Amino acid sequence: MNANRHLLLWSSLGALALLIVAAVQENFLRDWRRIQSRVRLDGQPVDVRLRQVVVPRFGVTDRCVSCHLGMVLPGRTSSGDRLAGAHPPVVHDPAEFGCTVCHGGQGRATEAADAHGDVPHWPQPMIPLGSAYAGCGTCHIHPRVPQLRRLEEARNVVERSDCLSCHRIDGRGGTVRPGGRGGMEGPDLSRVGLRGYDRAWYEKHLQRARSADDVVWRGAIPPLGSADLEAIGLFLDSRVGAPRLMEAKALFHSLGCRGCHKVNGAGGDDGPDLTMIGARDPGQLDFTHVPGKRTLAAWLSAHTRDPARVVPGSRMPKQMLSEAQIDLLTCYLLSLRGRDFPGDQWPRDRTLVRAIGHREVGGDGGDLFAAFCSACHGDRGQGMRFPGSPPFPAIGNPDFLAVATDAFIAETIRRGRPGRRMPAFDESAGGLRGDEIAAITGFLRGRASVAEPRPTNSAARWIRADAASGRALYSRYCAGCHGVDGEGTDAPALNNPVLLATAGDDYFFETIRRGRRMTAMHGFREASVVHPTLSDSQIQEIVAHLRTLERR
Amino acid sequence: MSGQSQPARSRLAPEPVPRRDLLGMAAWSAFFGSLLFASIGMLRLPKAAVVASRSKKFRISLPRSLSAGEAYVPPGRNVAVFQDAGGVYAISLVCTHLGCIVKPGPQGFECPCHGSHFGPDGSVLGGPAPRGLPWRAVSMDGNDLIIDDDATVPPGTKVKA
Amino acid sequence: MSTTHGDRTALRDLWNNLRAAPRRIAAAAFRTGAPVTDRARSSFVFGNVFLHIHPVRTHRWSLRWTTTLGLGVAAAAAFIITLVTGVLLMFYYKPYPDVAYHSIKDIHYVVPTGRFIRNLHRWAANVMVIAVLAHMARVFYTAAYRPPREFNWLIGLALLVVTLALSFTGYLLPWDQLAYWAITIGANIAQSPRELTDALGITHVFDPGGFLRELLLGSDTVGEEALIRFYVLHVMILPLALLALLAVHFWRIRKDGGLARPADADQRLGNAAGISPVFTAGPVKTYHLAAVVEGRTPAVGQGPENTVPSMPHLFIAECAVLMLTVFICLALSLVSDAPLKELANPNVPENPAKAPWYFLGLQELVSYSALAGGMIVPGIVVLGLGLIPFLDREHAGSGTWFGGPGGGRLVLGSAVFGLAAVLAVEAFAIRFGWLRQWYAHMPQPVITAINPGTVIALIYAVYSLRVVKHYASARAGAVALFTCFVCGFVVLTVIGVHFRGPNWAFYWSPAEWPGH
Repeated sequence: MNANRHLLLWSSLGALALLIVAAVQENFLRDWRRIQSRVRLDGQPVDVRLRQVVVPRFGVTDRCVSCHLGMVLPGRTSSGDRLAGAHPPVVHDPAEFGCTVCHGGQGRATEAADAHGDVPHWPQPMIPLGSAYAGCGTCHIHPRVPQLRRLEEARNVVERSDCLSCHRIDGRGGTVRPGGRGGMEGPDLSRVGLRGYDRAWYEKHLQRARSADDVVWRGAIPPLGSADLEAIGLFLDSRVGAPRLMEAKALFHSLGCRGCHKVNGAGGDDGPDLTMIGARDPGQLDFTHVPGKRTLAAWLSAHTRDPARVVPGSRMPKQMLSEAQIDLLTCYLLSLRGRDFPGDQWPRDRTLVRAIGHREVGGDGGDLFAAFCSACHGDRGQGMRFPGSPPFPAIGNPDFLAVATDAFIAETIRRGRPGRRMPAFDESAGGLRGDEIAAITGFLRGRASVAEPRPTNSAARWIRADAASGRALYSRYCAGCHGVDGEGTDAPALNNPVLLATAGDDYFFETIRRGRRMTAMHGFREASVVHPTLSDSQIQEIVAHLRTLERR
Repeated sequence: MSGQSQPARSRLAPEPVPRRDLLGMAAWSAFFGSLLFASIGMLRLPKAAVVASRSKKFRISLPRSLSAGEAYVPPGRNVAVFQDAGGVYAISLVCTHLGCIVKPGPQGFECPCHGSHFGPDGSVLGGPAPRGLPWRAVSMDGNDLIIDDDATVPPGTKVKA
Repeated sequence: MSTTHGDRTALRDLWNNLRAAPRRIAAAAFRTGAPVTDRARSSFVFGNVFLHIHPVRTHRWSLRWTTTLGLGVAAAAAFIITLVTGVLLMFYYKPYPDVAYHSIKDIHYVVPTGRFIRNLHRWAANVMVIAVLAHMARVFYTAAYRPPREFNWLIGLALLVVTLALSFTGYLLPWDQLAYWAITIGANIAQSPRELTDALGITHVFDPGGFLRELLLGSDTVGEEALIRFYVLHVMILPLALLALLAVHFWRIRKDGGLARPADADQRLGNAAGISPVFTAGPVKTYHLAAVVEGRTPAVGQGPENTVPSMPHLFIAECAVLMLTVFICLALSLVSDAPLKELANPNVPENPAKAPWYFLGLQELVSYSALAGGMIVPGIVVLGLGLIPFLDREHAGSGTWFGGPGGGRLVLGSAVFGLAAVLAVEAFAIRFGWLRQWYAHMPQPVITAINPGTVIALIYAVYSLRVVKHYASARAGAVALFTCFVCGFVVLTVIGVHFRGPNWAFYWSPAEWPGH
């Protein structure tokens, strides 16, 4: 009988001990209690309790402010660590928006690791601080972002024109005379792209400079031509309070990634759609070949650095990018995390892009080419070769442009090359409109200074020749690069149905005759001691043979 | 239970004073003590640590056509915002009696529940309300106003727009 | 009388009564006095509404540890813990999809003591399932189901089913990926009769599968209807059913003469120090005639009974087991958090999607045939368990561990056989596949009839019939069959828990699973 009494006694005492341990753990050993007890608000200690920001319209319940006290407390806080400091000045007040909308993470948690989302089964961990501006992509889609080169040129114009002496932009400048509103002569232009600005600003500045009698104004406004004004306008339109994100998006638009990847409906389908890549659950990714932490940012960086290593069998070429560029690209990719929420809450830029149809890429032909074509065709249209894939044609080649009509180029862009790497960029498939396609063609022609060829024959298919002899000629002179059946081993595929449907006989005829300079395709018409020559009739026979590939 | 076998005795007669069963007493005390501690701990549960109500601080832009003395009540909020020559000010519309929402009118505010009257500055004119309607903090941010429904300011505090 | 003298006395009386009120209130609540005499101890027990389900005196045999291992009390204790913690959780849990998940996150992170109480609830639930299964095994192996206790055995079976149902309904409530897909599987198992009705082409007239699934889910998918249904079952209907069955279960113990004990229990107990015989020279016991019962009850006028007062002996034993269970549950909840995966996403199935651990043995069988593994084999098991007291009408060995023909050696031998059979069949099925892998057009009824579940059950049945013949005893056969099924259950559950990975393929360890 004693045994039972002992059991009762010791298990009760044990239970009591465990309960005390649990009580101590909860009431004294929580990190947020420790942090809050060290904070002083205007010299006074603060009430130690859980705090949260609740924003029903975003579905947000964020308890980050239990540790990051300074984000919501008015007045001056001080404590041993930076943790309790105030939020750096940003567009959106954390007390109005919460924290997780911009930063990701698990808002409902009250322990550090859980709240930062670095725990299993939380699909949206925090965005690394270095890419903090990626959080803007949760709600915003900025339209008309040009390629990086143009953005940088625009920035140079702004710097050269000395705008920064009176205006602060992204934390720099505005110090010539701190007497004006906001402590400087002119308004802070860091977010001027959000709400718009007076487009006649230059005239007004000139007027003021002429009529002003203080020395700062009189010499302040330099003469600016229309190109410079356009550049400054481009730069100001990109100032939305997220400079790094704009730079990242401009870099994305310079590398031609949209040639294979769709973003918000515009782009190719050779690779996966990236519209929500920033919201991918890192728990679902394969980290076998990714060193370091198992975060989405690490995966994206490793993948951009060497795609075939991270995703075995990937056909994405390895591009020679610097670490800074990879970081920038990762920032942009992380920003592709657009959340669904009611249309009446959308910011202006998202409404413009999603509902009204404004374009994300700058409308200039060069910007479109850089954003959609340059990854495969080269930034000058010079063509590219990547290991393990047939070469991408040099569409900027003057000899090509001299034989290809605008309609042919437009149809090729619209329909792509089914079965090969070129996707269809038609408005319903790749999201490019007719005028944009024409702008790309215009850019190529302008760059090479080659006008559209005039058709030499009234009918597109004017060649009548013997296909059988053409076949023999083809096997002898063409099959080595273009493949026995025209399937294209080291050269473009000649049996492609879209090519054969859209190209006129002129195209084939002239190309074979003239060749394409600086490529392996030499002209077969001209006499030469180095390579064979073909007569016009022979070339016509080859073209006739090519036409028979259509029916297979 | 210890000791030797005892002879039979009447069940109605009280037993000789037994030796104190310290072990048993200790066991029962530990038992009830731990249950008591557990109960006290559990009693803490129903009191919420944080209250999931939305932020009391919000941003509005004042309609331009607001005349002096005319109340603007932002949709979904229980504050009335006014603008006059002295500036912008905000008065809470929650009756200080039992919490009904008062109706702003030309003579001040009227509460429909028990008939409290308040003047245009929120002071009590009649009815069961114990004190006047509190004034709320207003601040400017660019062209917008930020109203903090949690922060009370002395009556008469106006902010220049 | 209302003279002024009478008024003053009345007022003085009023005042004195007011002053005496606290003492009198205490006396009214606690009437029996300190339990230091046997009589006081008796009235302490039968005078209290909560305690009087216990007998006033308990047989010493029942208080031995080896008689019961305290498993019944442990199961009840675990239930009490889940009841109390469950009610507390109900303060904050919101039974609507998505909102439920967030409310559990809030309970974990923000509610005072919330994390601890949720962990306690989950661990106590697991302990309860284990205790209930172990208790059933104990009752079986001590042959405590023999007459007059057959009905109590059936009540116990009902309690087992209700316990598993409670656990299953509670599993959905967090609304995370684990919950959603586990219940999706469970509901589709309920629909498994369609395996047969589809093969016979009669589903459009007779569709018990579809009916069951819709009854369970309230809709055609797992959604808000299913959640509120499971919630109501879990917090109200099933607990009330359990409490009612528990009341009957305890009542039956009293009416059946206490816990089962062997006929020679008194000799085996011997004399204990300090136990006074009940009967004195001149019995002064009085009885109120409450009932006249048949059969063996404590008979009047016999020699000394081997009983001790329930207060304190039985209560100390019960409270000791209660606190031990509480201690174990507390320790587990301090160190291990209840799981919560991602928010339920109907578009992203868990792979592998696993039922709660106590159903994983079934899920292993279900992977070969849903109807057989989900309904036929469990149905056979429940039916078999229910029939045991009616097929075993022997008397040898009641109340002792492994009593009866064969004894411990039979148990050992059956365990070895059971393990070997289940391992062999499973190894065969894992290595070579089953029926449809060899012949793609195998008709479904054939697979429903011939699959690892039914094959293993058949092997066990044949084995136990041979044991019946060999020992000329139904009890021996029952012991063999029960032991085989216990081994089968354990092995299948282990396989389901540890050796099955994505797409329910066999892996030697989770480290080998492909992908993330």
